[in-house]
Amino acid sequence: MLNFSAAELIIPLVAGIVLGYLLRGTKHVGFSRVTLAAILVLIFSLGFGIGSNNELLGSLAKVGLNALVIASLAIVFSVVFVEAVRKLVRLS
Amino acid sequence: MIKYILPALFAGIVVGYVNNNYGNVFANVWISDYAFIASLILLLFVMGLAFGIDKESITKLRQTGPRILIIPFSTALGSICAGAIGGLILGISPIASATVSAGYGWYTLAGPMVWQIFGAELGALGFAANFFREILTIIATPLMRKADKYAPIASGGATAMDTTLPVIVRYCGSDLLVASFASGFVLTVVAPFTIIAIASLR
Repeated sequence: MLNFSAAELIIPLVAGIVLGYLLRGTKHVGFSRVTLAAILVLIFSLGFGIGSNNELLGSLAKVGLNALVIASLAIVFSVVFVEAVRKLVRLS
Repeated sequence: MIKYILPALFAGIVVGYVNNNYGNVFANVWISDYAFIASLILLLFVMGLAFGIDKESITKLRQTGPRILIIPFSTALGSICAGAIGGLILGISPIASATVSAGYGWYTLAGPMVWQIFGAELGALGFAANFFREILTIIATPLMRKADKYAPIASGGATAMDTTLPVIVRYCGSDLLVASFASGFVLTVVAPFTIIAIASLR
């Protein structure tokens, strides 16, 4: 996540959905190569942002193990809570 | 896919580290800001396109409706409980560690905010724990998807609207695009407020 407004990300998403909706029924285009390339650029730049951030690297060295425990717990609890509530409201 | 993602991530980390600490061949923002945002915008557009073309995806979204909001709110509750329990296990103040996990993976927010409230050591924890949440989600999405299609969205937290979104859509299908984006968006909006609210309990 970077310091640009989250709301701005809605614009390309909605533009894509609207255009896709208008293009319905036309011949389907394969996006898988484009998306894979873009995902790799995204993940590479994410890694780059981590590697070039000495503050973050320093904090990983200092509190890495505790951070890993909290992150894992947060993931497990989030997944379990979502599962439980989903069953409650019968969201398929 | 994951066999490309992990090398790309590690290559990025190494190149970023080398460039930043040995010479600065080019400005960091070229990659970590410009390339990042450009690829993210392209991905959102292309994923939106695939979603719009697919007739079933919109029908599925209509069936789900506003109930989709239970995902971000359960994720928030789960994260906060996990933080408090983690604090008790690790011998950290449960309120401080619940504040850390209320970043929902948004480390550039949680790091500085926790730093300001609880000081340098816990700020570092806020940074690192939320960073790990993002990385673990990217790595574990193929596995979690087998357990449940909504699990990666819960795991991604606030990052389900940007960094982890393409990975989630790739593995869980196009019909989860809007659910994932909406969940990440809600958590991004509530993160600063829950961080302040929990921190004020100390």
